[in-house]
Amino acid sequence: METSRPTRRSLLRWGTGAAAALTAAPALTACGQAVGASRTTKQAPTRPGHKVKLVFWTWVPMQKTVDLWNRTHPDIQVDLQIIPANVLGGYQKMYSALTAGDAPDLAQVEYYELPAFMLVNGLTDLSAYGADALRGSYVPWQWNQGVFGGRVYTVPQASGPMGLFYRADLFAEWGIDVPTTWAEFEQAARVVRARGDGARLCAFAPTQPAWFAAMCWQHGARWVRTEGDTWIIDMNDDLSHEVADFWAKLIRDDLVIVEPDMSSAWYAQLQTGRIVAWVGPQWGDALLRGNAPNTSGKWRVAPLPQWKAGENASANWGGSSTAILQGSRHPREALQFAHWVNTDRQAIDLNVAAGYGWPAAADAFRGSALDKPDPFFGGQRYNDVFAASDRAVDTSWKWSPTSDADFGHLQNDFGAAVAGQGGLVSSLADAQKRAVQDLLAKGLKARSAR
Amino acid sequence: MSVSAPGIDESVAGSTATPRAVGRGRAGASHRGITPSRILLVAFLTIAALYFLLPVYWLVVASTKSTGKLFGSFGLWFSDPHWLHNLSQVFSYDGGIFWKWTFNSILYAGVGGALATLLAGVAGFALAVYRFRGREAVFKAVLAGVLLPSTALALPMYLLFSKMGLANTQWAVLIPSMVSPFGVYLCRIYAEAAVPVEVLEAARVDGAGEWRIFSTVVLRMMTPALVTVFLFQFVGIWNNYFLPLVMLSDDTKYPITLGLTTWQSAADRHPELYQLTVGGAFVSILPLAAAMLVLQRYWRSGLTQGSVKG
Amino acid sequence: MSGTIKDTTGGTIDDTAHGVTGQGRGSGAGAGGRQRSARPDRAAWGFLLPFVALFLFTFVLPIGYAIYESLLKPIRSGPLGLGAAHIGFAGLSNYTLALKQQDFLDSFGRVLLFAVVQIPVMLLLSTVLALVLDTLSSRWASFLRAAYFLPYGVPGVIASILWGFLYVPGVSPILDLLGRVGLHPDFLGYNSVLWSVANVVIWEFAGYNMLVIIAQLKAIPQELYEAARIDGANAWQTALRVKLPLARPALVLTGVFSIIGTLQLFAEPLVLKPLTSTITTSYTPNLSAYNEAFANNNIYLAAAESVILALVASVLSFGFLSLVNRKGRSER
Repeated sequence: METSRPTRRSLLRWGTGAAAALTAAPALTACGQAVGASRTTKQAPTRPGHKVKLVFWTWVPMQKTVDLWNRTHPDIQVDLQIIPANVLGGYQKMYSALTAGDAPDLAQVEYYELPAFMLVNGLTDLSAYGADALRGSYVPWQWNQGVFGGRVYTVPQASGPMGLFYRADLFAEWGIDVPTTWAEFEQAARVVRARGDGARLCAFAPTQPAWFAAMCWQHGARWVRTEGDTWIIDMNDDLSHEVADFWAKLIRDDLVIVEPDMSSAWYAQLQTGRIVAWVGPQWGDALLRGNAPNTSGKWRVAPLPQWKAGENASANWGGSSTAILQGSRHPREALQFAHWVNTDRQAIDLNVAAGYGWPAAADAFRGSALDKPDPFFGGQRYNDVFAASDRAVDTSWKWSPTSDADFGHLQNDFGAAVAGQGGLVSSLADAQKRAVQDLLAKGLKARSAR
Repeated sequence: MSVSAPGIDESVAGSTATPRAVGRGRAGASHRGITPSRILLVAFLTIAALYFLLPVYWLVVASTKSTGKLFGSFGLWFSDPHWLHNLSQVFSYDGGIFWKWTFNSILYAGVGGALATLLAGVAGFALAVYRFRGREAVFKAVLAGVLLPSTALALPMYLLFSKMGLANTQWAVLIPSMVSPFGVYLCRIYAEAAVPVEVLEAARVDGAGEWRIFSTVVLRMMTPALVTVFLFQFVGIWNNYFLPLVMLSDDTKYPITLGLTTWQSAADRHPELYQLTVGGAFVSILPLAAAMLVLQRYWRSGLTQGSVKG
Repeated sequence: MSGTIKDTTGGTIDDTAHGVTGQGRGSGAGAGGRQRSARPDRAAWGFLLPFVALFLFTFVLPIGYAIYESLLKPIRSGPLGLGAAHIGFAGLSNYTLALKQQDFLDSFGRVLLFAVVQIPVMLLLSTVLALVLDTLSSRWASFLRAAYFLPYGVPGVIASILWGFLYVPGVSPILDLLGRVGLHPDFLGYNSVLWSVANVVIWEFAGYNMLVIIAQLKAIPQELYEAARIDGANAWQTALRVKLPLARPALVLTGVFSIIGTLQLFAEPLVLKPLTSTITTSYTPNLSAYNEAFANNNIYLAAAESVILALVASVLSFGFLSLVNRKGRSER
């Protein structure tokens, strides 16, 4: 990365910027100005004996993986910087850095956010650096998350196939069978409420629209599709309504605790047994381990409950890629690192320990650190459940370039809904309307599906 | 309520200490007794003190705890304290980045505050003693600057600075910190009242140039106002959050406020950061709290002097 | 909140807003200044230049640039609009878009409601504390003054982190204690969270405003108190009839700065946001603009929202000033 002090070049830019600002008012036709990232990727010549330094932003604690790389690759040193997770500040930082022209070389970007990064020209076209040859090393649907217009823009890292985490000890104590359908899930919730001395089956987090999207994804909804050059938003559909109605009923009957998940209060309740289950992603294992250490050995994992008995529908929550942001001076080396960090066996094992998710590398599961009985889950080979879940994810789900804003609207509406202002179902209608407005405001073509 | 509050009713008139109220008829009569109104008053003052001090006390207690105890023990009492360990964690985490943040905060607030004070002093003096064309316009602009919310400007400033390549540099925080319309305002008022024209005239007769007069004579006269302006500006910059938030993306340039919120928002994946956030918050309010207490007298006397002369 | 005030200025911000700008009150300096040495303009501008240059650079230029940006929009092309894009003239469409967004309008309603409640409560508390401490002649006064003033030294974000811990059920010792006596208030609920934010702001600034008022009281000529005493007024009467009216300039000033501060509301709700689903991404105008710029990447819309915010803020603070001034004048 370059230094912060204004260099001569930045001072020059400063001068022209000021001049532009001063003279702009009369000449309001600002054509020719580019959108988004203010610096584009260019490969700097490599000089022998000169170390290349790469900066890598992520919110997964992958320091050990990076240490391993730095030990084995003395010529390319990676500096890992921990940033706030996604919309909690991470993406804001990245966009801000892209605009300022000093983005890091590498950054963790979730799949749903990739179209938004495309919109600001934030990603390096990796096809130009030979990325297409790497395709075979990855799970196809995850690889395709980073392909736009036939060009590769990012290296997939991990996904989040979902399952049901539950407290086996308390389920046994209260005589609850592990639910296989959502109807049984509701029954279980009623039993917990009746017998659990203030406990509830799980929490409903109005702050987690990505989780809610995954629930709709499992049921077969498709929130985003495209027709020609038009984005079509379809959140207000019957299947999503059913999901919303289901959770609204659980909330109304006081069967779930309404609160933000992954918060200190939520962790405290997992720890004390006030919350005894979590419909969560594979990467949630590390969160449970780290934040509810007292409950070790008592958790198990079961497949996601189904809408129809005997079905095998799954969903995915989260999923990240290692992107090479626009403006890097070492895209070749960055791509080399990105591929290594996501496919090297040792690296994957270290990533898994850090809770990075379900590997995007093809055939990474068997024989890895994931493929072992785990004492925290009472010796269960719990990742077998997630492996099956991963295979069952319907991979035709698409994201819009305004996912962040869509989630924001849903979160705002859900927040009001659980406070008695409107309902979960009407939230979907409102969020859909706003999602279309957002797309239009960005100069895109968009409409509602219905 | 017509009951006076005996004992506290005091004659601000006099300067300090002597117990008053004596021999003031009604009030004096119940001077030493414990009356309901006095109890009420003491209760009110005590509750107010509890309210203002409680969060700080909680912070002191919390800064001694481990992450587990932070969430798993009663918040207002100590539990298995290991304070030094926590503090050394704060300063050593991530290659000692907290030191950098501290340094940056001092840089932004110290240098920014000092330069802002100097510029404000000079400008305020000029506005107070000279009659020149454009004076009205400048002064109205300053007044508008005082009344415009600084955060409404931060975003426009970010747009402009990023166009100029200044975003994500330390200048992006430092430059706006050097401008204090309110400081100019204050200095102008103060200079009008505290710098006698005769002194200026006398100096001019002696052949001193305007700059020389300012730096040798006026600066000293304006010291109380300058100190006040510096304190306001220092605290304002030290506490600022929005400007560094929008301007900076490189965490080695962060001030403490921004650094701590970064820790806090990453804490759900890294539970140890909860403790570091609390410990860091504790460390970061120490210097300013100390300054508040020590300088309190100075703030007040600075203020009062100005007004007496004005 | 940036810097703030003190007694002296209290009087003058008042006066100047009347348009008495030029002469101000330093009539001595004014009169003398008229016959000063040669080339005063050059000297004056020499003194002013550094400040004026920076002022133009950090106030005038950004606003001009924001207005310019608010008139632009991206025009997209390529597959699904993800291809190349260029910037075109948008007219006032960003403004109509901002004003059509219910969330953005609601955020103004919210901060206005906040201001109407929080500012009077805080100033009342500050005034009462000031009046009481002003009459307290023991050394307790200085201890209490320091205690009340202390939170001013705690940055807003840190204050919010602290109070955040005190608001969350299961972590907060306050809720622990209240729970033991059967009370379970929800500090982070849909209807209560705004007042929890207000509490943080009061905590931060009440002591500071108190100090401003005390300074004003100390500046009042002591003969007035003597006169009141001779008239037989007791401490309460003196406080209400003599001190309070004389503290008016300080109150006006703290009032103006509180209004400005309220419109800037940002750090407190942002820090409390992860703790509750009831603080939205557009909870305050500032949050909304920030969110548009950095999360939605629509800097043109964000620029329009910033301009609207600056406009509303100026109208309100100037409006408040001229209102109290007119009132003050008619009373005189």
